[in-house]
Amino acid sequence: MTVQTETQVSQDLRTITRQGLLPASGGGWLAGYGNMLAKELGEWFNTRRWLWQLLLWPIILDGWIAFPLFVLPYLESTNPTFQGATEKMFAGLPTELGSIYMFYSMVVLAGTLGAIIFAQDEVIQEKQSGTAAWILSKPVARPAFILTKLQSNVIGMLVFVVGLPGLIALGEIYLATHQLVPLVPFLVGMAVILLGLVFYTSLVIMLGVLCESRSKVLGIGFGIFFAGMMLKTFFPQIAYVLPIAMDGIGLSILLGMPLPVMLLSELISVAVLTVVFIVVALWRFQRKEM
Amino acid sequence: MDTSNSLVIETQNLSKTYKETQALKGLNLTVKHNSIFGFLGPNGAGKSTTIKILLGLIQPSGGQATVFGHDIQRESVAIRRRVGYLAQDPRYYEHMTARQILNYTARFFYRGPKDLIDARVQEVIGLVGLDNKADRPIRGFSGGERQRLGIAQAQVNYPDLLILDEPAASLDPMGRHDVLDVMERLRKYTTIFYSTHILEDVQRVSDTVAILNQGRMIAEAPIDQLLAGDGGPIIYNITLKSVTKQAVADAQTRITSQPWVQHLSITPEDGHMDWQVSVTDEAAAEDQLLGLILIDHSLKVMNFGRKTFNLEEVFLDLVEKENSK
Repeated sequence: MTVQTETQVSQDLRTITRQGLLPASGGGWLAGYGNMLAKELGEWFNTRRWLWQLLLWPIILDGWIAFPLFVLPYLESTNPTFQGATEKMFAGLPTELGSIYMFYSMVVLAGTLGAIIFAQDEVIQEKQSGTAAWILSKPVARPAFILTKLQSNVIGMLVFVVGLPGLIALGEIYLATHQLVPLVPFLVGMAVILLGLVFYTSLVIMLGVLCESRSKVLGIGFGIFFAGMMLKTFFPQIAYVLPIAMDGIGLSILLGMPLPVMLLSELISVAVLTVVFIVVALWRFQRKEM
Repeated sequence: MDTSNSLVIETQNLSKTYKETQALKGLNLTVKHNSIFGFLGPNGAGKSTTIKILLGLIQPSGGQATVFGHDIQRESVAIRRRVGYLAQDPRYYEHMTARQILNYTARFFYRGPKDLIDARVQEVIGLVGLDNKADRPIRGFSGGERQRLGIAQAQVNYPDLLILDEPAASLDPMGRHDVLDVMERLRKYTTIFYSTHILEDVQRVSDTVAILNQGRMIAEAPIDQLLAGDGGPIIYNITLKSVTKQAVADAQTRITSQPWVQHLSITPEDGHMDWQVSVTDEAAAEDQLLGLILIDHSLKVMNFGRKTFNLEEVFLDLVEKENSK
């Protein structure tokens, strides 16, 4: 006869109760990844945030090129003082390419500001509020915590800042010029612009791990962006390192031109620095005391 | 699960130093399977630090620890799969509802099926009595409701070990009562390791207690042993009634002449006397003490027994001794 102790009985009861529930998959540095990513993406797509993003970015980015595509030609045809204004605005480029360049430039400017604002709170707020400690008391690997923050922001920007406005821009250009923009070079150009946004997202997430003050995170993020913009006139060499001419790289690709050394260096440097920021964030967060 | 190893938590010389402050000094702790282990100490004693080290939220400066035999530094995720944790000041995403928080928590442990996860969430909501608030954002929750949610999220994965950091500290008497009730109900399912500075709670629900002071453990024992004053003086309380003063004086002489009697103090009360006999030999006292009194039939013994201490006395005594070192 088998005699069961009270402990064994209660263990058996628990096993029965747990029956049917499947243990979460993903171990090692991916533990908790799927659940966290679903939650982080839910912040973009399952709250009202998506509606605001859906309205905001097309208004800013597509509204910006709607002026030279639709308003300026109308003014040119009705008012002689505007004669040649469109050509001047696009610096001699065909309208469809000129407007794409304008679109790229605006995505770089507004998108970078957006990327910094989106990411600034991701880590620091969770550290300060104590929700990070709560999450990390569950079976969650620390790299998963950082990577899901990064990935959800990149996906959010890909959809709302780059993807949808890009599609609308293509539609606008076709409506205005009846010309199709070459799709593959356009998409590669967009990927380059997105890389610039990922650079700032990973920079700000790394700063969120390293700093304890939100103002420091914002200050350094915006500081690097604006300093780069201002300094490029006086120290163009800065383009070897920082993502200050990603729109230019996009245009070169669109025109099928080989990339000058400076822009090629910028592209490589931005990719390498992005990886460095992510590695530093992961390494430092692994040792962070909660 | 592995039930062969009866130790759930084991630490060896665990220490933690913050710059120049030593928060934990060589902690050696053993928590047995299916016990309710009260981790007692004044504020700043190192209780939360110990808990956070066990969960991998902070790194120890020295020493080693295992939970379920897993190393706390190398196998932290494996440990957390079997643990439910309630922080001292638990924080959650304020915009989410209690049900969403619990669902999110459950999915760190289980991937499906959805209806079974939902059923488990509903079960823990019922367990802590949050049925009416389950679908409201938690930003509107009171302290007690947050604590209930905290217990629910710590319990959602059927943990083999429940770690509660000051679970009743911020609650009113009713809330405290509820929390202790839940702990008692969970006793048969899980090992509970909880920190507190509320002595009354420890005495009510714990079976083993460790007392921590200034980062150092000054006592660890089953609660009965601690309250019996083991390791300290052995004292017997006797309540006597006597017709004559001579009978009392004779009994006093008989007792104080025994080599194993250390001290006798007498407090006259209304119509009776309280004797406290301090002895060095517990066996001799149990055999002979009562008999030595009852030789004289004019003496009536109304009460006889070994003195038990309350936890407050034990705690204050130990902490004062430690502080005076």
